[in-house]
Amino acid sequence: MAKQLPLRFAFNPELGFLQYHSGANAEIVAHLKHAASGRGETLIFLWGEPGTGKSHLLNACCREACQSGLSVSYLPLSGLREYGPGVLDGLEHQDLVCLDDVDSVAGDDAWERALFNLFNCLRDHGNRLIAAAGVPPAELAIRLPDLKTRLGWGLTLRLQPLNDEDKLIVLGAYARSLGLDLSPQVGRFLLSHYHRDLSSLKRLLDELDHATLAAKRKLTIPFLKNYLEEST
Amino acid sequence: MSALWNQCMSKLEGELPPQQFNTWIRPLQAVENGSELKLLAPNRFVLDWVKQHFIGKIEEVLSDQKIQPPPHVVLEIGTRKQQEASPVAPAIKRPASVKKGLPNNLNTAFTFDNFVEGKSNQLAKAASIQVAQNVGRAYNPLFIYGGVGLGKTHLMHAIGNEILRANSSANIVYLHSERFVSDMVKALQHNAIGAFKEYYRTVDALLIDDIQFFAGKERSQEEFFHTFNSLLENKHQVVLTCDRYPKEIKGLEERLKSRFGWGLPVAIEPPDLETRVAILMSKAQHAGADLSPEVAFFIGKRIRSNIRELEGALRRVIANAHFTGKPITLEFAKEALRDLIALQDRMINVENIQKTVAEYYKIRVADLLANKRTRSVTRPRQIAMALAKELTNHSLPEIGQQFGGRDHTTVLHACRKVQELKESDSKFAEDYSNLMRTLSN
Repeated sequence: MAKQLPLRFAFNPELGFLQYHSGANAEIVAHLKHAASGRGETLIFLWGEPGTGKSHLLNACCREACQSGLSVSYLPLSGLREYGPGVLDGLEHQDLVCLDDVDSVAGDDAWERALFNLFNCLRDHGNRLIAAAGVPPAELAIRLPDLKTRLGWGLTLRLQPLNDEDKLIVLGAYARSLGLDLSPQVGRFLLSHYHRDLSSLKRLLDELDHATLAAKRKLTIPFLKNYLEEST
Repeated sequence: MSALWNQCMSKLEGELPPQQFNTWIRPLQAVENGSELKLLAPNRFVLDWVKQHFIGKIEEVLSDQKIQPPPHVVLEIGTRKQQEASPVAPAIKRPASVKKGLPNNLNTAFTFDNFVEGKSNQLAKAASIQVAQNVGRAYNPLFIYGGVGLGKTHLMHAIGNEILRANSSANIVYLHSERFVSDMVKALQHNAIGAFKEYYRTVDALLIDDIQFFAGKERSQEEFFHTFNSLLENKHQVVLTCDRYPKEIKGLEERLKSRFGWGLPVAIEPPDLETRVAILMSKAQHAGADLSPEVAFFIGKRIRSNIRELEGALRRVIANAHFTGKPITLEFAKEALRDLIALQDRMINVENIQKTVAEYYKIRVADLLANKRTRSVTRPRQIAMALAKELTNHSLPEIGQQFGGRDHTTVLHACRKVQELKESDSKFAEDYSNLMRTLSN
């Protein structure tokens, strides 16, 4: 039987606080919500392993800030690095700046200078900064000590990875948002036979969504086994 | 915020990936003016990106709003606040308008009263008070130098705030050296260098932070040199901070180095344990948190490198206590700082100290551990032992053990000797402080 060709719709998941399953990170979410609505800490540095939801949380902060009537910018530095630090110009006037993947520009003199400058100007204007990276400030490969110590000046928060039960809840919700039926058995199979970080798992669910549609099959353990074998 | 733009934003938010939306669309600020919708981008890069990738989409969403005639979209650089303050090119005009009462950039939270004094910074504080009370007449320039996060900026703001307290009409400007450079570049681009010069040369006190960032920027150095001379000639105060002694700044003209040393160069050293504890107690009190001396000593002992890190640690403990509603006990602090302490222990250990000291004195680590007793080896060995005592939590017998199985009394003797030499031999004190700085950063 010929495979059905599913339409490639880009799925835009909502990245708000409501969609974030906090698990052991409830305190962090509370601090971020507070800062994003223009209260509390003026500098937060968020770090944690890949898949702990740093980007999700920064995007949620942008939404929260906007709802509170604040001006805000989100900067995924890993994607912007190649264009040079001009993208940081003038951002000190934003009430909140969210910098993602700070580690990706560490060691680049021009970026470090520009970040240092942005940090000082934001402070002068009394505006807020929330930054995120895979490691804490002291472990960033930043060469400018002035910048490194400044990043560690505020509230440094470590995102704890979710345990398997929490991951199953997140994957279940994500699958539902795709319209994909993910049984607990299949979910557990995924967790024990595939990368365990949520980013990779979500990407796999995207692929499985297309694969099940194309094959007009339900997502079962045999289907999953077969798919994983074929794709390796 | 414009109601029309709000509606468009909701529509665009549903249609674009959230990361793209938050990077390019959400930062835009809208000003509605009759049939025109002006979208303000924070900088040229965002403006060009929106023009290239999203303008079509924006116009499409706008036309869906069924407004006749459809508003004309104009993209500009700026913010709503700036537009309200001055309708024409606000960012560039600032230095050109030489008027009293412009923002001085001073942070009123930094005062002499909340600057915690200790052995490491008392001279710098005393000199700063002198300068604030005798503007342009005490030490000019006052040059405060020391490692990162030790309180140089705090003192600088305190000077400015104190001058203003005594004379509220004093014209004071605080700025970071990078800002001086970027303002100058903007002034050059817009043929406003005359106004720029006048602006900085007529202030009563010019406070410039982190002067080391002038290194390698010849045009800025030239301009600053003239500004500096003009201020000094007219007995206006100049205060500068730097991460090192004037003579040690690479890429800075000799004439500037020598002038920076004309007034009083004064150092700030890393704070000792007692000062660190006093800083913690003072910051906690300011934040309205109940911190016992026992917990302050614990944090002060574990976080040694600089005051920013110390403040970061305290912030973590207080935030955690607020969230959980628990009192800050020793156990509570240990738990809240578990990650930070583990990191410190990973980064500073005895092996690391031995390696750094051996490299500094150009000897081998094996020499530090061996029985050799020549001066060229014993001094570095003693310094390494003293640093191990200061920077790690190992007991003296443990430190002795890691130095080739020496007795704890040898470590004790080394620590006393280092203390004595730090006070009597300035070269030795400098070596010690250089090593401390390297290891702490």
